[in-house]
Amino acid sequence: MIKTIAKPAERKVTACGECRSTCQSACKTSCTVGNQSCERITREEKIERK
Amino acid sequence: MIHVFNYKDKNYIYDVGSGSLHESDKPTADYLKAKAEGQAVDITYLTDEQIQEAIQDCEALKAQGLLFKDEIKTYPMKSNEIKALCIHICHDCNFRCRYCFADEGAYCSTREAMSFETAKAAVDFLIANSGKRKVLEMDFFGGEPLMNFDVLKQTVYYAKEAGAKAGKKFLFTTTTNALLLSDEVIEFFNAEMENVVLSLDGRKEVHDAIRKSINGKGTFDLIIDKIKKFISLRGDKSYYVRGTFTAKNLDFSKDVLFIAEQGVDSISMEPVVTDIDDLQIKKEHLPAIEREYETLCEAYLQKHAEGKGFNFFHFNIDLEGGVCLSKRVSACGAGNEYFSVVPNGDLYPCHQFASDKEFRMGSVFTGIERTDIREKFKTSCLFTRKKCENCFAKFICSGGCSANNYHFNGDIDEPYETTCAMMKKRVECAMHILAEKKAKNF
Repeated sequence: MIKTIAKPAERKVTACGECRSTCQSACKTSCTVGNQSCERITREEKIERK
Repeated sequence: MIHVFNYKDKNYIYDVGSGSLHESDKPTADYLKAKAEGQAVDITYLTDEQIQEAIQDCEALKAQGLLFKDEIKTYPMKSNEIKALCIHICHDCNFRCRYCFADEGAYCSTREAMSFETAKAAVDFLIANSGKRKVLEMDFFGGEPLMNFDVLKQTVYYAKEAGAKAGKKFLFTTTTNALLLSDEVIEFFNAEMENVVLSLDGRKEVHDAIRKSINGKGTFDLIIDKIKKFISLRGDKSYYVRGTFTAKNLDFSKDVLFIAEQGVDSISMEPVVTDIDDLQIKKEHLPAIEREYETLCEAYLQKHAEGKGFNFFHFNIDLEGGVCLSKRVSACGAGNEYFSVVPNGDLYPCHQFASDKEFRMGSVFTGIERTDIREKFKTSCLFTRKKCENCFAKFICSGGCSANNYHFNGDIDEPYETTCAMMKKRVECAMHILAEKKAKNF
């Protein structure tokens, strides 16, 4: 038995460069690309919710 | 490539190519571990029916592109547009923390503050080199940025004004030790800072053992009430209280929980980066650290179940609305779209390189002179980091921190394996938490 927990959203645009910089350095709050959200998807979801 | 792992009694399958996460029963997980990953797992107990069911499930997911999906190896399209600057507004500090990577604020040079003229030139440099990017980031860093608060404030106002004229929006962040967090500063931060990062290592005895004032005394009592006040007035704006753990407090989950008990709901706890022998995280510490992340993971879930949840930075993972492949491959952008500016206006790939004159790339007054360094950083990406090729976490971590890689292994493309091990454990915890959050709807 396999149950899907999460799969990536379909994208209309990639490599737009809108996302924030992702400093992974431990002396700040080390971001990774994995814990970052796509700015476009987030914005589109907000518009849809409205 | 897939990664099959257990967390307590749960079995998870992460498909690296598609970025999908699945949960399975034990027979399916064991079958995939043995057949797809080549792990030495006993599957002699499996019945023919169980094997057939596992194969059918896998085929169905494969047909949907959610399992065994081919990995795309497209190199990122990197432009020369700059989108972020780390402004070293002050190369001095009012703390003397033993583990400080920045030579206790001085960066192996003179203790000095940035002038407003230099900060203005940095703003102008960023705008002029940002191409078509509309949102620009400016991160005030030190030393201790609040030791030069007037210039910081003036710079924010100038950047907003200059940005508006150029059709750009600035997002500001400040990282501070909180000692000078006055009412005036809090009011300014809440009005202007998109994010604020406040340093606190956890329990008083842990914090005070490392984070000392200039006169050698612990600083916990000097900052804790200021941090609490800041948070009480922060509203829904973003902030992090971030700590550092060292070899001296491998039971750091206690420090995270202590910070949460102070009313902090946004926390990060980072492994120290140092070569100081008694503080450094070494390979032999990894089993204890991995257990500690599990302890923290359980406590985190328990707190959420009790309605006292908090946000722990490393347990966040976005598998559904995450960044695109191009970003996952190109990572932080240091030395190409992100630079550090030191008090005299010189440019470095990032703050972690700012003590090393070999990495001076130019100046905000004259522009980028060392195009060779820029080219090295620009072409560096996940695919130039050969050690990452067979790592399941590669599209989540994008090959580690370039500075860390360089300082430990002498090459920005050579990941430091101790950091990798911690990253992989945190990713597994984050995936388990994601599954639990979805199952329990919190």
